[in-house]
Amino acid sequence: MNEKGISLSAHTMKVLIKRELISSIYGWGLYIAVFISFLLSSFILRNFMRGIGQNNIFISSYPLNLPLFISVVIISLYLVIVSAISISREKEHGTLEVLFYGPVSSSSFLLGKYITDMLLYVIILGFFAVYFLGVSLLTNLGFTLALGKAFLVSIFLASCMISFGLFISSLTGRVRSSIVWLIGILLAFLGIWFLENIFIHIPPESLSSWLLYIQKTLSVIYHFVNWVSPFSYLSRGMESIRIGSIKPFLLNIIYSTIYTVVLLLLSIYILKSKGVRA
Amino acid sequence: MDAIYTKNLTKEYDGFKAVDNLNLKVEEGQIYGFLGPNGAGKTTTMLMLLGILKPTQGEIRIMGESLSKNPLSIKKKIGVVSEKQYLYREMTAQEYLNFFADLYKVKNKKNRIEQLLAAVDLLDVRNRKLGAFSRGMQQKLGFARALLHEPELLLLDEPVSGLDPTGIKQVRDLIEKENKKGKTVFISSHLLSEVEKLCNKVAIINKGKLLAEETMENLRKKLTEFTQLEVELVEINKDILDALSSFEFIKEIHQEKNFLILKITTDKDHRAEISAAIAEKGGVVLGIKIREMSLEEAFITITQKNISLLASNKEATQ
Repeated sequence: MNEKGISLSAHTMKVLIKRELISSIYGWGLYIAVFISFLLSSFILRNFMRGIGQNNIFISSYPLNLPLFISVVIISLYLVIVSAISISREKEHGTLEVLFYGPVSSSSFLLGKYITDMLLYVIILGFFAVYFLGVSLLTNLGFTLALGKAFLVSIFLASCMISFGLFISSLTGRVRSSIVWLIGILLAFLGIWFLENIFIHIPPESLSSWLLYIQKTLSVIYHFVNWVSPFSYLSRGMESIRIGSIKPFLLNIIYSTIYTVVLLLLSIYILKSKGVRA
Repeated sequence: MDAIYTKNLTKEYDGFKAVDNLNLKVEEGQIYGFLGPNGAGKTTTMLMLLGILKPTQGEIRIMGESLSKNPLSIKKKIGVVSEKQYLYREMTAQEYLNFFADLYKVKNKKNRIEQLLAAVDLLDVRNRKLGAFSRGMQQKLGFARALLHEPELLLLDEPVSGLDPTGIKQVRDLIEKENKKGKTVFISSHLLSEVEKLCNKVAIINKGKLLAEETMENLRKKLTEFTQLEVELVEINKDILDALSSFEFIKEIHQEKNFLILKITTDKDHRAEISAAIAEKGGVVLGIKIREMSLEEAFITITQKNISLLASNKEATQ
C-alpha cells in the first residue's frame, strides 16, 4: 500500500473508531459490565475484610489482586461478546456492505474495531483505577506494584480477548451464530480444563489402558488450549505476578502480543475471503 | 477515457458461471442501463465493479484505473445506491450523513448535507431516527449518501425501487442533474420504463452473458420486430377484414368496436397499403395511429425466443 493508501486507511479507521466509541459510551452495556464487576469485587473484598477482622490475620500478600482478577474476567467476557458480534452484526444488517462501497478495507475495518474495543478497555481501566485506589484508601489495603503489574497484564488479556472475539465474528455471518460459536468454544475450553484437572490427580497405574489413552489425549489438547484460549494468558500473567519473576511476566506479554497479531491477521484474511455479506 | 471498462469479466461459483466473459465499455458522461432478468448476473457484476466480490478472471478498470491495484482511491470516486438501504437504525438522518461525510472527507459538509437533504425532500426529518424511516425515505437517504462526496461515477441498483411517483420524479431529476454535471451513471434496473427514460445506452445480460449493448434507439428497433397500428373506421365489414388478412405483413387483427388493432412487421411503412385496401372494400378510414411500444412493453414481449434471437445476432456480428 502506498503512502496515500495508508493515510486513507488511517483516516477511515479514525472515523470508524469515533462512531463506535461514541455508540458504546452512550450505550448501557459498558456500565452494566463495570457495575457487575465492581459488585463482585466489593463482595470478595467484604469477605476478605471480615476474615481479617475475625481472625486478625492477613491471608494474602496481594489482597487487591483477586478482586481485580475477577473484575478483569467479567470485563473480558463483556469485551469478547462485544467483539464477537461486532462484525457479524454489521454483516447481518448489511451495513458492512455499505461501508465497503466506500474507502473501507478489511484491514482498516478490523483494526478500527480492535482499537475501539481496546480504547473501551482503557476507559474501563480508568474506572478500575479509581475504584481500587478508593478501596485502598478506605481499607488501608495497599495499592502495590503487583497491582500495577496486574493492571498491565490485564491490558494484554483484553487484547487477546478482543482479537479472539473478532476472529469468531469474522468466521460467522450472523449474530446468533457468533454467540453460539463463542459460548461453544469457551465451554469446550472450560470442559477440557476441568477434565484435565480431574485426570491429573489420578495416578496412571490406577487407570485402565483406554482411560490412560484418554488422559494422554486430554493432556495434549490441554496444552494446545493453553495457547489458544485467551483466558490462559491472564492466568499465566497473574501467576507470573504471584511468583514475582520478571521473565515469565515479560514472556507472557510477548506471547499475548503474538496471539493478538496472529488472530487479527487471520480475521482480516477470513473477512477478505468470505466477503462482507452474511 | 472509459468510466467503466471490463474485459472477460467472469465470476464462477462451484463451476457455475454467474458472470461469463463480460465485456462492458461505459463512456464518461453516459447514463448506461444494465438490464436483465432476475439471476442474470447484474448484482454480481455490480459487486465486482465495487471490489466487494473478487472476479474469478478478467479485468476491471474504473475511470481509467485498475480496480485491483487501487481499490480504495477508486472507491472514493464512486457513489452507490443499492436496491435495499442498509442503515444504522439508531442514527438520525443528519448523523448518518455526517458519518459518511467524515468517511469520505467531504469539505464543507454541513452545507453539502443540507443541500442534499433538501434535494431529496428529507430536510424536515433530518433529526428523526432512521429506524422510523419508510422504505422510500430510506431510498432517498441512500441517494443523498451516494452523492455526498461528489462522485465521478454513480452505480445505481434499482434506484427507484420502493419510491412513490413523487419520489421517482425527484430521484430521476437528481440523476439527470448529476449527469448534466458530467457524472457517469450506471443503472441496473428491472423497471425498464426508467431505463428507457434516462439511459443513452443499454446492455442486456442473461445467464451471465452480454446479449446486446446498444443505443436506446437501436435496441428498441431490435426488440420491436412488430408494431401495432390502430385504425379507426366509420364501419367495419367482413370484406375489409378478409382484405387485410391477405396481407403477409399483417400478423394479427383485433377488432375493438370501430377500431382495428393490427400487428404488423416493421420492415417499412404499410399505412398507405392498408388505407387503400380498406377504401377498395368501401370502408372509410377516420385515422391511423402507430402504437409506439415502450421498451418495457417490448421487453415484456421478449420471450426466451427473443433472448435467443439477440444472442444469435450477437454471435453473427462477432
